[in-house]
Amino acid sequence: MIAKGFSYGLQKSISIGIGYAPVALTFGILSLQNGLTVWEAGLMSLFVFAGAAQFIAIQLIGQGATIWIIGLTTLVVNIRHILMSFSMIRFFSGISLGRLSLLAQGLTDESFVLNSKLLEDIRTPEERSRVALGVNVGAFLSWVIFTFVGAWLGNQMNITFSGFNFALLALFIVLTVGIVNRSNVFTYLFAGILAIILKMLIPGKVYLLLSVAIAATVGALIEYYRESKENLEIKHE
Amino acid sequence: MSKEIVLIILFMTVVTYGARVIPFILFRNISLGGFWKSFITLVPVALLAALVIPELIISPENSIRLLNPFLVAGICTFIFARRVSNLFYSILFGMIVFWGFDKII
Repeated sequence: MIAKGFSYGLQKSISIGIGYAPVALTFGILSLQNGLTVWEAGLMSLFVFAGAAQFIAIQLIGQGATIWIIGLTTLVVNIRHILMSFSMIRFFSGISLGRLSLLAQGLTDESFVLNSKLLEDIRTPEERSRVALGVNVGAFLSWVIFTFVGAWLGNQMNITFSGFNFALLALFIVLTVGIVNRSNVFTYLFAGILAIILKMLIPGKVYLLLSVAIAATVGALIEYYRESKENLEIKHE
Repeated sequence: MSKEIVLIILFMTVVTYGARVIPFILFRNISLGGFWKSFITLVPVALLAALVIPELIISPENSIRLLNPFLVAGICTFIFARRVSNLFYSILFGMIVFWGFDKII
């Protein structure tokens, strides 16, 4: 078997890269409408590279929110990356801190979902880190480039299209199709219901972190309990 | 470029990158099993639910509204994506359906 590496990951990232295009274009266009310049929009994508938080931030900037509100909201929205990053470590045992810190910048909801599926089938941590880097770089380039294109377009003309409001959600929904199956649909629905309740009760974005942490804990406890019961039954036989 | 926006971007970068890199630094030599293994494989599933489902049924006035363009477009996008496994077409489809229903509802 030929070792899989960076170019394999880059090739696999095309689906994310193409999917990011309409979302990043939308972000660029909306940035301009909220008073940012082309460079400010592009730099935000380059440094922050986190779709949901960026959309929320430009809205807040448009409303004249303070830097503290924006920073704290970003923290609340993006603290979920701790869970994703924590979930990725299992693939990279023994990889150097330097490469890990490079991989970290590419961690997004989409690259995480794709990498989680892709890296299962790759044998060594070394190969996995190269493939993941390819995936991340492809997604990153698309996000940054199409932000600039969108911002440039938004600068040339005033584009209004209500479909922009749905771009990011559409991306998440398509990801759902690839990842939810019979074995995890309980956790999915439970997290969804929790998120609805918590969102209505608690102002801000704290509901995201809470519902993910609670639902994944409950789902994992059920799986763990089932497995240990099965093991007991095997022993009894 | 305004100084305030640059500071905002910097602030956002620090908190976001921090959340991305800290677990890599703290837990990089730990192998997980049992409960924790199930937990980390369920995180992406729970995350997608939390990101999507409230947006589809909670209105800006913070009440549940089922007949709204977000939910209709969400269901249509889901069905479309199941049949046509193409990220780009599915997103474009969702945006156009949303635009259509936003005009009607």
